Amino acid sequence: MKHDTIERSIPLMVILTLVLISIGGIVEIVPLFFIKSTIEKVEGMRPYTPLELVGRDIYIREGCYNCHSQMIRPFRDEAERYGHYSLAAESMYDHPFQWGSKRTGPDLARIGGKYSNMWHQAHMQHPQSVVPESVMPSYPWLKKSPLKYEDIEKRMQVLAMVGVPYSAEQIANAKKDLQAQASASSDASGLSQRYGNKVPKDDFDGQPDQISELDALLAYLQMLGTLVDFSSYQAQAR
Amino acid sequence: MADQHDVETTGHQWDSEEGYPLKEFNNPLPRWWLYSFYATVIWAVVYWVLYPAWPMLDGYTKGMLGWSMHQEFAQDSKAALAQKKASNDRLEKLSLKEIARDNSLLQHAMSGGKAIFGDFCAPCHGSGGVGVKAGGFPTLADDDWLFGGDLDTIYETIDKGRDGAMPAHLQGAGGAFSEAQVNDLTEYVLSLSKRSQDAAAAQRGDQLFHGEAGCNGCHGDLGNGSIKGTVAGSPAPPVGAPNLTDAVWLYGSDPAVVRASIAKGRTGHMPAWGSGAKETGKRLTPLQIKQLALYVHGLGGGQ
Repeated sequence: MKHDTIERSIPLMVILTLVLISIGGIVEIVPLFFIKSTIEKVEGMRPYTPLELVGRDIYIREGCYNCHSQMIRPFRDEAERYGHYSLAAESMYDHPFQWGSKRTGPDLARIGGKYSNMWHQAHMQHPQSVVPESVMPSYPWLKKSPLKYEDIEKRMQVLAMVGVPYSAEQIANAKKDLQAQASASSDASGLSQRYGNKVPKDDFDGQPDQISELDALLAYLQMLGTLVDFSSYQAQAR
Repeated sequence: MADQHDVETTGHQWDSEEGYPLKEFNNPLPRWWLYSFYATVIWAVVYWVLYPAWPMLDGYTKGMLGWSMHQEFAQDSKAALAQKKASNDRLEKLSLKEIARDNSLLQHAMSGGKAIFGDFCAPCHGSGGVGVKAGGFPTLADDDWLFGGDLDTIYETIDKGRDGAMPAHLQGAGGAFSEAQVNDLTEYVLSLSKRSQDAAAAQRGDQLFHGEAGCNGCHGDLGNGSIKGTVAGSPAPPVGAPNLTDAVWLYGSDPAVVRASIAKGRTGHMPAWGSGAKETGKRLTPLQIKQLALYVHGLGGGQ
């Protein structure tokens, strides 16, 4: 068939274009669903707790991904600064993932626990108060805005539909677990029973009397990259 | 407007009625472009053979070179370690004091420590360790230390982290004292650095400080902190209670700030980076912490 024929017939050209792109897509995408080694087998991964999940939504709402990646690439310079390179398993419950490639600010894949809550509070209020050379904008409203989480069960149900293993019990106790994690003094036995006892539980925003958006965002940031137990992870030649 | 080129046209013609017979030449592609294109096609095939390329149903083609990014990373890291092995071995073996006496080894350790400090410590303590007053992050460049400024203590602080333990005193904020009593305490604390405006209130605060409130249990009978260790009542090991008689104030010297510290307490938190790290894993190796301790010690205030 001469290209002349194809170019002169729009329907034919559309059909052939679709066929060509489909082949490319099938070859590149479909095997990913079947290749078992795509996602490493690691210890420690769990779905986000309700508080972390809402915090993640705030992270996306504020567009943090525009300046911060969450993907440590397997290069020595990156690993020395940020820690072990990111594994596919670490974002297997992310919908959508936050890998990104734009780094105006540093990578956040392992920011969890790196700085204290107090630092994060000062930093979100006015980044230049702690890092004078920073170009990050201030997010003072996070501390003042009470967290909206009436629909937390719904959010978890939707994620469960796309494969995040939230149990019925986790969804039913979502509000209770969220409130428990945002306080330093609450009883968190249910929370640790449902999500493991490594869940950082604190009054993240330094305001004991209210659960603010900052509580949720910091809960999310303080767990990033901390789940996988790397002492048990053996890098396969991949 | 006759054809000037001896080239085939596509047969498409526009505007012939107006006398502008626009035609579309079907020129052959420039040779250099065409051959470059063929070369890229051939390179793609060569690449498929040499490198990991095609996904299959249960794996992928590994390529003849057996290259993998993770392997290259492992080799890179190993090579870098091998390069530094001689110095690092000595750093690991020698004690902090011994390293400090060996000038060239100290330089090596401090340059490593400086790089680590830039990413892990500077966000709180400022570049060069100048501190950030607003958040209560102490300066590391002076000789005022909460827990001690000798090499081993600095190492321990980085390795295990530190937690401030100043309790709240005001009723309603978790304490047991009235507004007036907190004001009296504030007045007494200010009097320690000769800034009191009200001698009678300071006198009442004095009674509370050494009595009911028990401040001297941590800050010492003279209020000069837990690590000076020279006054009666100084507890050991240090609990990080600051010296209240000098001009160095972690959260600010303003009377209102001092009062807030007494009323609501302070729980500054220094994360643990080594053996003391629990929830987040150990970010720094003992070797890195050694280098950091030497660097911090050398910032100006090491004891």
